[in-house]
Amino acid sequence: MGGFITFLENRVMPVAGRIAEQKHLQAIRDGIILTLPLLIIGSLFLIIGFLPIPGYNDFMSSVFGENWLTKLLYPVNATFDIMALIVSFGVAYRLAEKYKVDPLSAGAISVAAFLLATPYKTMFTPEGASAAVEVGGVIPVALMGSQGLFVAMLLAIISTEIYRKIIQKNIVITMPAGVPPAVSRSFVALIPAFVVLLVVWLLRILLENTSFESIHNIVSDLLAVPLNALGGSLIGAIIAVLLVHMLWAVGLHGAAIVGGVLGPIWLSLMDQNRAAFQADPNGELPNVITQQFFDLWIYAGGSGATLALVVLMLMRARSQQMKNIGRLSIAPGLFNINEPVTFGMPIVMNPLLIIPFILAPVVLVIISYFAMSTGLVAKPSGVAVPWTTPLIISGYLATGGKISGMVLQAFNFIVSLIIYYPFFRMWDKKKLAEEQGSAAQNSDRTLTM
Amino acid sequence: MNILLCCAAGMSTSLLVQRMEQAAQEKGIVARIWAVSAGEVKQHIGQADVLLLGPQVRYKLAEMKKEGDARGIPVDVIQALDYGTLNGKNVLEFAMGLKK
Repeated sequence: MGGFITFLENRVMPVAGRIAEQKHLQAIRDGIILTLPLLIIGSLFLIIGFLPIPGYNDFMSSVFGENWLTKLLYPVNATFDIMALIVSFGVAYRLAEKYKVDPLSAGAISVAAFLLATPYKTMFTPEGASAAVEVGGVIPVALMGSQGLFVAMLLAIISTEIYRKIIQKNIVITMPAGVPPAVSRSFVALIPAFVVLLVVWLLRILLENTSFESIHNIVSDLLAVPLNALGGSLIGAIIAVLLVHMLWAVGLHGAAIVGGVLGPIWLSLMDQNRAAFQADPNGELPNVITQQFFDLWIYAGGSGATLALVVLMLMRARSQQMKNIGRLSIAPGLFNINEPVTFGMPIVMNPLLIIPFILAPVVLVIISYFAMSTGLVAKPSGVAVPWTTPLIISGYLATGGKISGMVLQAFNFIVSLIIYYPFFRMWDKKKLAEEQGSAAQNSDRTLTM
Repeated sequence: MNILLCCAAGMSTSLLVQRMEQAAQEKGIVARIWAVSAGEVKQHIGQADVLLLGPQVRYKLAEMKKEGDARGIPVDVIQALDYGTLNGKNVLEFAMGLKK
């Protein structure tokens, strides 16, 4: 186990650090954060719209009229459904910031590039007609949401790279002296914006002559679909969880590092479920693995599912140290924050406690995956419940109000309790022996004095 | 004295903020202590005298040092055990030591 830690420190840690610090991945992560408050607010309306109370629908209809649900879900259309548009701006903004060029211009150019890549048409089935017809002159909402996420991220990066290269090479329109600086600044973005839009325009024209037909289709076929399949699989989830906890084992924030790379995948899987849930709250949802799958069913108490360990410390610890850490950790632990455990107990660099810390979440992923994929437990509905929401409540909300989501959380808690128990006992014993040892030493000293 | 703390989401460092404020009060030190996420540091570092990172984001030290050096602000990583046990007194002393 000591060799394993050395391996993690010398091999895994530098690579992880480099990935976490990679400019484009960082910009994607920081840009996506811009959507999260909106998604949480949208989720609030989703939850109110689909409260699982018998007769709720009829009651709401009688009070607010037949179309109450459509009206209630307006904010969902303005949050979840424009996720890609926000990401398009956010990623470009954050990347431009890192290059120290004007982020606002970069963001605006990126949004224009994203829309230039999007054909302004949609399929529509008129009432009474059997076949859908193509309607022009509309921005397709479907491509502004999670379906357009990867195109938005890619074009944000490409357009901002072009933008900053041209600015940094100082290929700009310079105004003669005497022109007010504010006026000449407004011309600075002209050349880079022209080049960006020219490139995207040519790309679109080119692809329209291929079987892909659009930039959205090629990105979806070659990138989004394979990535989502990989990230949404059981194997993908196990590998992700292994990496997260191996990084935590050496004291690095594994969830932030791994989530920075896989976040967009989990986000679009989440939104696929949200769209299906919104269409039919009792219907079959496409994905088990989403952001909430990890946050709410695996990481109870924080990475490593340490809430069970904290409860053990509170109820069963004999050593003073473990009692203290338990008391210190329980309040943050209920909100899934566990640094007092990982660094205080500590789990980090601790060959004994790393074993259950890695084992428990992997076992929970397998249990939860099969419980949900067999239909025993409801899948996450795509409601974006924040990761700080306490256990049981979060399982109820994230499944769109299904009791089975809470039951699985409780079951997982007991499983992690069993996995942690023997290791907790050994560590507590060791600490108690240390305390008694030093107490004995102290009393020896008083005697000799 | 203005002490800025940062971790992945600014959550666990906010636990430490309370403890450090208590420690500062006991010592009669006037200090403004606050926690932000790593992504927000750029907007806050201008108001800080010291920037401290949680040990779990220590891979950001090089990048944050660059930000700090440009403004003459010392940047360092909080010791893991002090962080885990939320030892506000030690971390406060550590921050004040960096400032000198």
